[in-house]
Amino acid sequence: MEFKIAETKQEVNGEIVNTLGDGSIVLKINQKDYRVQLVKSSTDEVEFLLENSFHYSKKIRAISSETSIVLDGLPVTIRKHFKFADLIQSTSASAVSTENNNLTSQIPGRVVNILVNLGSSVKLGDSIVILESMKMQVAVKSHKEGTIRDILVKKGTTVSRYDAIAIIE
Amino acid sequence: MISTVLIANRGEIALRIIRANRELGIKSIAIYSDEDTRSAHVKNADEAYYVGPAAASESYLNIKKIIETATTSGADAIHPGYGFLSENDSFANACEKKSIVFIGPSGKAMTMTGDKMKCKALMKKANVPVIPGSEGVIDDVDVAEGVARDIGYPVLLKSAFGGGGRGIRLAKDENQLRQEFEMAAAESKAAFGKASLYVEKSLQGIRHIEFQIVRDSSGNTRHLFERECSIQRRHQKLIEMAPSPVVSSEIRRRMGEIAITAAEAVNYLNAGTVEFLRDKDGNFYFIEINSRLQVEHPVTEVVTGLDLVKLQIAIAQGQAIIFDQGNLKLHGSAIECRINAEDPFNDFAPSIGTIGRCNLPHGPGIRVDSYLYSGCSVSGYYDSLVAKIIVWGQNHQEARARMKNALREFEAEGINTTVPLHETIMNNADFIRGDLSTDYLDRLKILDIMEKEHIERVKQNSSVAIAAVLLQSKMDGRKDDYSQNTNKKLNTRRWKSIGRGINGI
Repeated sequence: MEFKIAETKQEVNGEIVNTLGDGSIVLKINQKDYRVQLVKSSTDEVEFLLENSFHYSKKIRAISSETSIVLDGLPVTIRKHFKFADLIQSTSASAVSTENNNLTSQIPGRVVNILVNLGSSVKLGDSIVILESMKMQVAVKSHKEGTIRDILVKKGTTVSRYDAIAIIE
Repeated sequence: MISTVLIANRGEIALRIIRANRELGIKSIAIYSDEDTRSAHVKNADEAYYVGPAAASESYLNIKKIIETATTSGADAIHPGYGFLSENDSFANACEKKSIVFIGPSGKAMTMTGDKMKCKALMKKANVPVIPGSEGVIDDVDVAEGVARDIGYPVLLKSAFGGGGRGIRLAKDENQLRQEFEMAAAESKAAFGKASLYVEKSLQGIRHIEFQIVRDSSGNTRHLFERECSIQRRHQKLIEMAPSPVVSSEIRRRMGEIAITAAEAVNYLNAGTVEFLRDKDGNFYFIEINSRLQVEHPVTEVVTGLDLVKLQIAIAQGQAIIFDQGNLKLHGSAIECRINAEDPFNDFAPSIGTIGRCNLPHGPGIRVDSYLYSGCSVSGYYDSLVAKIIVWGQNHQEARARMKNALREFEAEGINTTVPLHETIMNNADFIRGDLSTDYLDRLKILDIMEKEHIERVKQNSSVAIAAVLLQSKMDGRKDDYSQNTNKKLNTRRWKSIGRGINGI
C-alpha cells in the first residue's frame, strides 16, 4: 500500500507481511522488514513495540483516505492510496468538489457574528463568521473564492471542530 | 482567625488555595458554574456551591451571588485568586461592607493602582523611575511634539482609554508624529468625545522584570526578588523565570528597594507585584503594580521556599511578617512554562474537549499546578491555561534540563497544547544564553523553528507512523475507513445539499 505523510510529503510503502500467533506481526515498510509486538489495541488506539521502543498511537480522525493520528504525542496525518485518491479528486465531479465547497471550522466555539449574506461574493481568506472560544475571538476565513451558497449557522450557534459553517461555490 | 475561606475562582488557582487552606486547618468553600460541576476544585473543596450558568458574568463574576454564597456558607474570608474579581475594587469594598475579609489589598489601594496615570504620577513623586512621557493627556499636537522632542524619538502615542496593547501608535520622527496624532485624535474623539492621548518614550530591547512584594498591616514591606517574564505572545506571558539573567545581586538589592518604595507609596497591603521594563541600556522603568497574587507566583515560591498563599492568609488575619529582608535568599534557578489548550501549529486556535489519557510529569525539582485529570473537561467559556509546569534546579542549566523532561512526559490527550512551543524554546540558543526581550518570539521566528522541528520529528518517526496505521487498519478489519469514521454530520449535509437546497442546519 502506498502512503503519503502530509506534513513531510514523504511517500512510504507499507504492508502487513505476516501475523504470528503470539501477538507479533511482521511489517514491511519501504522494503525493510520490521517485527512488531502488539501490546494492546482497540478501535481507536494501539500500543506496540517496534525495534525495542514502546509506542502509543491514537486515531483522531479518518476521512476518506486520510487518517490523523497522535503518535507518542506527535500529530501525524497519513494518506492511504494517495495516488488513487489524488486521481479521483482531479477527475471526479460533484462528490469531492462538494466536500470542497464546505467551509469548516478549525476550532470549536460560539458564533458571535456572521459577516456575509447569502449570495455574497468572497475571496480566499475573507472572514465569514466570528467565533468566540476561551475568551478569544477568532475569524473563520474562506478557503476559496466563490459565492456564499448557504450559511449553516446563526448567531449563538455552538460549533465543534470540523463542523461545516457555510457552503461556498 | 480566619476559619473558612470561599474561593472566588476556578481551575488550578482554586486548587492551589484549597491546598494552602488545608495546611492551615481552614475550611474551603468552592463555587462553580454549570461548566465546572465535575472540576477538580469542586471535588477537592470541603463544600461546593453552585453560582450560575457557564458565562463568567453570571457565575464567577457575579458579585452579588458570590457574596450571598459566602454568607450562606459561613465563610469569613474570600480569596479572589487571579483574574475574575481579583482586582475589582467594588468587590473588595462589597466584602468589607459584609465584614468578610478580602484576602488581598484594600479596595482603595486597588483603585489607586488601577488608575495608570495617577499611579505613575505618585511613583514619580516617590522617586521611582517611570517611563519618560507626558504628565497627563494631550489634546494638542504641538504640545505632543514638544514632549517628544524633550524625551527623544521614537515615541509611542497611547490612548488614555485604550488598554491591553490596543490603540498604541509608533512615531519615529516629527512628521510621523503629526500624522499619527491626527488619526489617533480623530479616533479618540469619535469614540469618547476627546482626543485624550498621551506620549511615552518607546523603549528598545525591552525585558519585562517584576518584583514580588508583600506588606502587612503594620506596614512591614518585603520584596521577594524578581521574576523575568519577557517571553510573551500578544502581551500574554508564556514563560517566567527567576533569577533574571540580567539582574546582578547589586541590581536586585537596588530594584528591590525601589519596589518596596512603590508598594509603600500606594499604602499597599498583602501580596502584589511591581512591574518594570528594562531597556537595552539596563535602565529600569516602573510600569504598574498588579494588586493580586499572580499566575507565576510559584516561581518565587520555589526559589525562596515561601508559601505565598499561606502568607496572604496570615497577613489577612492581621499577622505581622516574621522574616527579615536580610534573611531572604534567592536559591537556585526556576522556570515556569504556561501550558495552554491552544494549537500552536494553527495560529493558537483554542482547543476544548474531554481529557483522555493524562500524565502530569513528576521527578526531582518538578512541580505542576493544574486542574487536569483523566476524564475532566476543558471548557471554552474560560481562559485556556490548563497547567503550569514549574521546575527548580541548582542553576539555569539544570532547570532547563528538568523542564525538557517535564515537557516530554506531559500528556493531555483530547486537547491541543502549547507544549511543542515550549520544547522549541527550551532548545533555543538565545533562551539558553538568556538573550530575551518582549519581542522574542517574532525576533527569532520561534514559530517557524517550531514548525521545522515538528516536521523533522515526523520524518524521524515516519516508519513508526506507518506501522501504527497498518496495525490500526488490521484492527479495523477489511472495512474501509471512509465508511467507519467519517464525520457523519458533514456526510449527511453533503448528500442533502447535492439533492436540494437547505436552510439552516
